[in-house]
Amino acid sequence: MAVLEVKNLKKSFGANTVLKGISFSLERGEVLSIIGSSGGGKTTLLRCLNFLEIADEGEIIVDGESVFHIDADGKACVPQNSGEYMGLVFQQFNLFPQYSVMDNLTLAPKLAAKKRPNYKQEKKEIISQIEEQAREMLKITGLSDKESSYPCQLSGGQQQRVAIARALMMSPEILCFDEPTSALDPELTGEVLKVIKSLKDSDRTMIIVTHEMDFARSVSDKVMFVSDGVIEEMGTPDELLVNPKSEKIKSFLSLIKKDGI
Amino acid sequence: MEQFFGVTGNLLLGFAENMKLFFATLLFSIPLGLIIAIFLLSKFKPLKILFEIIVWIVRGTPLMLQLFVVFYVPGIVFDIPMRNRFMAALLAFVINYACYFAEIFRGGILSIPVGQYEAGRVLGMTKSEIFFRITLMQVIKRIVPPMGNEIITLVKDTSLARVIAVSEIIMSATEYSAVGLIWPLFYTGAFFLIFNGLLTILLGKLEKKLDYYKG
Repeated sequence: MAVLEVKNLKKSFGANTVLKGISFSLERGEVLSIIGSSGGGKTTLLRCLNFLEIADEGEIIVDGESVFHIDADGKACVPQNSGEYMGLVFQQFNLFPQYSVMDNLTLAPKLAAKKRPNYKQEKKEIISQIEEQAREMLKITGLSDKESSYPCQLSGGQQQRVAIARALMMSPEILCFDEPTSALDPELTGEVLKVIKSLKDSDRTMIIVTHEMDFARSVSDKVMFVSDGVIEEMGTPDELLVNPKSEKIKSFLSLIKKDGI
Repeated sequence: MEQFFGVTGNLLLGFAENMKLFFATLLFSIPLGLIIAIFLLSKFKPLKILFEIIVWIVRGTPLMLQLFVVFYVPGIVFDIPMRNRFMAALLAFVINYACYFAEIFRGGILSIPVGQYEAGRVLGMTKSEIFFRITLMQVIKRIVPPMGNEIITLVKDTSLARVIAVSEIIMSATEYSAVGLIWPLFYTGAFFLIFNGLLTILLGKLEKKLDYYKG
């Protein structure tokens, strides 16, 4: 069964229709890369999937459970605990500057734990469990020695790896990345892409908006080309990036090659 | 020499009034200012406009006039005369300073990148958790310098309370000048200077303490 099903997602900002009906599905452990020129709706799609924007129409189903739909009165139903379904790593990292790396990772889980009924009795165990998990995530992202550093003391690549570890703390079904390396110096993108690749090896379902075509080709099971608010083409990396059918993709790819990006 | 100590003692008594007014104003106007800032940023238009008008009136008229209004208007209009001069002064000061603080808070809140809020959202934090655990701490760091400015102004503004006969330090000094002794009036400046000097050191320390991170 598909871990994610998106049905006919639509989103407008005023008169500007950004998503004109997006439908696709994703199997567990699959990695989907979304490519396309800017303004095409990639980021809006990702933001709708993470409920940072509320879609006007459509349905999102995670693990067979309808987590987003428009009810009979036309009201959007958004999950309370959206973090369990979707995680998002931002282009600009968005770490909390006043907190250490450790606290960046544990802040949200600790706040969530307070709402558990057994929190008062088992406070100590719960907190040490969360901290244990945070150390595990820092190990995965290769930052074990940065536990007590502050974001401002880290390089861009390290900050983005902290952001990935922070997103993993919520154990989301699907982890999304919004151009995770676009804000990084070229020499720092490698370390971030390496972490994302290692997550693929541990069978994590991921959706990545990216401009790194080589990376998209090597890491993805599926590639989606979004243009003008619709899915122009979706398929395997080879189908889309090597032998695209659509003229739009061909010209997009040739433009990217010309610029040497 | 004996006269000097006598004057100093009396002025200190007056300055105690200034200090009472200063600390009480801070205590109430900072939280009130934060609440007003939240109203000013509200998406609910009537609330936002109401508080914009209040801030406009309070910032657009002299504090001295506001002291008169708070002291006299309840008696004239509602027939409930203000019996306590100090409380009247405090009320005027709290409203006045809350409006200035609100604008500082508002600017501080607006200066925090929206990504901070969104990061909290995707981690499943509630609006109030995001505000108190993420935004507010960053706002405080950013507003220490302008708040320091206002707080230092407040110290000096407390002497305005004499217009409704709160016996603060300058009022105490004028009792001497009324009988021909002028130097105590100028001497009051020393009290303000010393206190503001201490405040400046304290604010500097706070700024340094919050300097452990950038952003």
